[in-house]
Amino acid sequence: MPSLRERQTRFASALLAGDDNGDRNERIAIYRNSVRANYRKALGATYRVVSLLVGEPFFHAAADAYVHATASTGGDLNVYGGSFGEFLATYPHAQDLPYLPDVARLEWAIDGAGRAADADSSPEAIVDALAKIPAERITALGFALDPSCRLLRSPYPVLRIWQVHQPDFAGDMVVAFDAPADHLRVCREGGVVVVERVTPGDFALLQSLADGGDLATALDAAVAAEADFDLGSSLRKCIANRTFTELRGE
Amino acid sequence: MRAPHVGTVLAERPPVPWFEVHSENYFADGGPAMAALDRIRADYPISLHGVGLSLGSTDPLDTGHLAKLARLANRVEPARISEHLCWSSVNGRHFNDLLPLPYTPEALDHVCARVSAAQDYLRREILVENVSSYLTFPESTIPECEFVAAVAARTGCRLLVDVNNIYVNARNHGIDADAYLAAIPPAMVAEIHLAGFDASGPCLVDTHGAPVAPEVWSLYERALERYGRVPTLIEWDTDIPDFAVLQREAATAQSYLDACLAVAA
Repeated sequence: MPSLRERQTRFASALLAGDDNGDRNERIAIYRNSVRANYRKALGATYRVVSLLVGEPFFHAAADAYVHATASTGGDLNVYGGSFGEFLATYPHAQDLPYLPDVARLEWAIDGAGRAADADSSPEAIVDALAKIPAERITALGFALDPSCRLLRSPYPVLRIWQVHQPDFAGDMVVAFDAPADHLRVCREGGVVVVERVTPGDFALLQSLADGGDLATALDAAVAAEADFDLGSSLRKCIANRTFTELRGE
Repeated sequence: MRAPHVGTVLAERPPVPWFEVHSENYFADGGPAMAALDRIRADYPISLHGVGLSLGSTDPLDTGHLAKLARLANRVEPARISEHLCWSSVNGRHFNDLLPLPYTPEALDHVCARVSAAQDYLRREILVENVSSYLTFPESTIPECEFVAAVAARTGCRLLVDVNNIYVNARNHGIDADAYLAAIPPAMVAEIHLAGFDASGPCLVDTHGAPVAPEVWSLYERALERYGRVPTLIEWDTDIPDFAVLQREAATAQSYLDACLAVAA
């Protein structure tokens, strides 16, 4: 008689194995199909635009291959699938769609932004705190970013691709692939996830601050990315739209 | 309550006595879905129904998962917290589905220890639910109904009796559904689930994607005769219909509950 652990290990192997014949295997197949359908549905809900771009049969095949290669390790299906973009980058059948991984990364960023912690931020409080800091100490400060803030850079026009596949999009679906690289900030504003194109300088500044850098380091990165970067206007914008939640290193 | 209906519930505040949500759908740190749940909770009691704790697994109990459940319970102060009498993961791999247990003394000891551990962690009683199954194991020696009742008797947890799952298993495995109901002491039953199944394959499959079948309504009526007026939920998780369709199913359940009260009076 198999132990409970042996039984579960065998059952798991049968779920991961291909379809087979025979009555008992037919019953196992009910579970195999159910498991497969759960993952297809969960990934399809997160990666809706990827699914629209490739069509359902392709998406299901890619989802099945991803699940096989990337075990779910937790009981909350809502947080499974974060590496689907990386998987698509190496998925042989998706190699002629080089923008697909970044579309997936954008969808994952949007999904994560929707689930991130709520932050209390007050632009007025940050401005007041800044006013009290001596000018020579300003560059040693940093800013904490809103927990929902995600940054994504892509050589492809992924925001435009994403926008023309939204249910409420009306108009011309043409996507210009000769557009400059996308620098995107994904952030919740007033309870709604907003995807916004930012300048290369703003992007580098935010990336550096998100990595824990101080303002001096972030400014160097911003200027390197954008020669005529204007720190003052960038900071004002990030404070006003609540990308920054508080000063760090006061 | 599933995501497509949240807007309807917030806008119309339908006269529903309580709502149940899948616990894991509200494990997020924050965001609009959590805020919507808070607003619904302000006007309705909420039950948390987990699908991912993997109580029957021989892997270590996932305390990270339990911590998120505890955090959510703290936030919504649920009327009830339930989980499934099944397993979902082994050797570190999750299948995110409700997989069947063999009904052996070893499995019973194991599940009881896990239910007790979960109750200790959450510092409250939980409910465990009987699941549908599509196969049985040769090593099983304990009838499912006795296994389910023993878990409650030994751990002090209570039972979420899924009448549709009893019906599905009765048909799939040749069990007597009424004997199953009779094996469960009424005091253990804290909630009832009803749902629809799919009969197109080699056995009945619990899809939560169809109306409650007439045979299941009839079994529900007999369950109420035995257990009394137990809070009852209609589950509908795939091909989710308009809220009005669910309300009609819930109204049917309510009419059985009212009839049960009339008999008791």
